[in-house]
Amino acid sequence: MRYKWRTGQWAFVLHRVSGLALSVYLVMHLYVVSSLYQPENFNKVMAFLNQPLFKLLEIGLLGAVIYHSLNGIRVGLIDFANGTAKHALIFWVLMAIGAVIFIAGAIPFLHHGGVL
Amino acid sequence: MKITFKVYRFDPQSGKAPYLQDFPVEVTPGMTILDALGEIKAHQDGTLVYRRSCRSGICGSCAMKINGFNRLACETQALLLKQSVIHVEPLPGLKPIKDLAVDMEIFYEALARVKHWLINPDPPPTDKERYQSPEDFKKIEVSTSCILCASCTASCPSFWADKNYLGPAAILKAYRYSFDTRDKGFADRVGALDNKHGLWRCHTIMNCTDCCPKHINPTESICHLRRMTVENKY
Ligand code: SF4
Ligand code: SF4
Ligand code: FES
Repeated sequence: MRYKWRTGQWAFVLHRVSGLALSVYLVMHLYVVSSLYQPENFNKVMAFLNQPLFKLLEIGLLGAVIYHSLNGIRVGLIDFANGTAKHALIFWVLMAIGAVIFIAGAIPFLHHGGVL
Repeated sequence: MKITFKVYRFDPQSGKAPYLQDFPVEVTPGMTILDALGEIKAHQDGTLVYRRSCRSGICGSCAMKINGFNRLACETQALLLKQSVIHVEPLPGLKPIKDLAVDMEIFYEALARVKHWLINPDPPPTDKERYQSPEDFKKIEVSTSCILCASCTASCPSFWADKNYLGPAAILKAYRYSFDTRDKGFADRVGALDNKHGLWRCHTIMNCTDCCPKHINPTESICHLRRMTVENKY
């Protein structure tokens, strides 16, 4: 039987996954931005990025950024502020805060994308 | 209540791959997993191998993975798990020797690496022992109750991935002595602690703290030692 996954295990794996996703994003981001120096190119790329798919990816990016930063705070609290005994509580409090930020942030994205 | 125990069976001499064997046991209130294993060994299959000694949560020899979670078999009551099927497997991450018994060699070797004993070059007083005040003892009290059952180290995903990692139990011991006011051995231990198979391998996943049968928090001691290590360096 597989070993039980508790809060700490989920938090760690999600941290790795979101971290990897953000690194991949960063490379893609730099690549796209570096091609924007010509006006024609700029318009072409912008039109391409205006597809709904990229709106969804942007929301995913927002989620990854929020998760990775908030769990980063949790890891800091564990390491520097004796947070080990309360790590699960800290996790859920931060995730509640994260959910609010996520919803508040996703709505304007969807507005812009014309979905809402 | 009838409970089916799915017990991990492995005999290296048979050449067969490990498998789970079903043993139905009539469980009565208060009966522990260890009692059930005793029942199986006495009445169903005398070849079943597992370790136990004290049967009361003191020796630390009966730790195993019970329904996907490391616990002491002698302290876990079968009915309290509220399952009609209970999986009983050896501690994960350590090499099974036979059935539920695992090879503890690397676990003990990690303890030796952190020098899990009192180090103090000053000779002890001749008329008394090295005294410790109750307040000083309080600081390390919880960590002294470790029974070296290996539940924590065997629950640690960082240890599963890196068998050279000291693991939470050995680091807890390093903490127990390094924070003992009679000890002056931190400098001797820091080499084993301050590397990628030591303190920094822990990713604060907290499996160790979740499962320790003595309610010790090894992760906390890892964080304390990390800070001590950094403070000593800079
Ligand atoms: S810290 Fe707890 S789980 Fe780890 S060896 Fe000691 S008693 Fe067992
Ligand atoms: S907190 Fe650290 S030592 Fe404990 S199980 Fe997690 S990774 Fe291992
Ligand atoms: S038999 Fe000694 S701790 Fe379980």
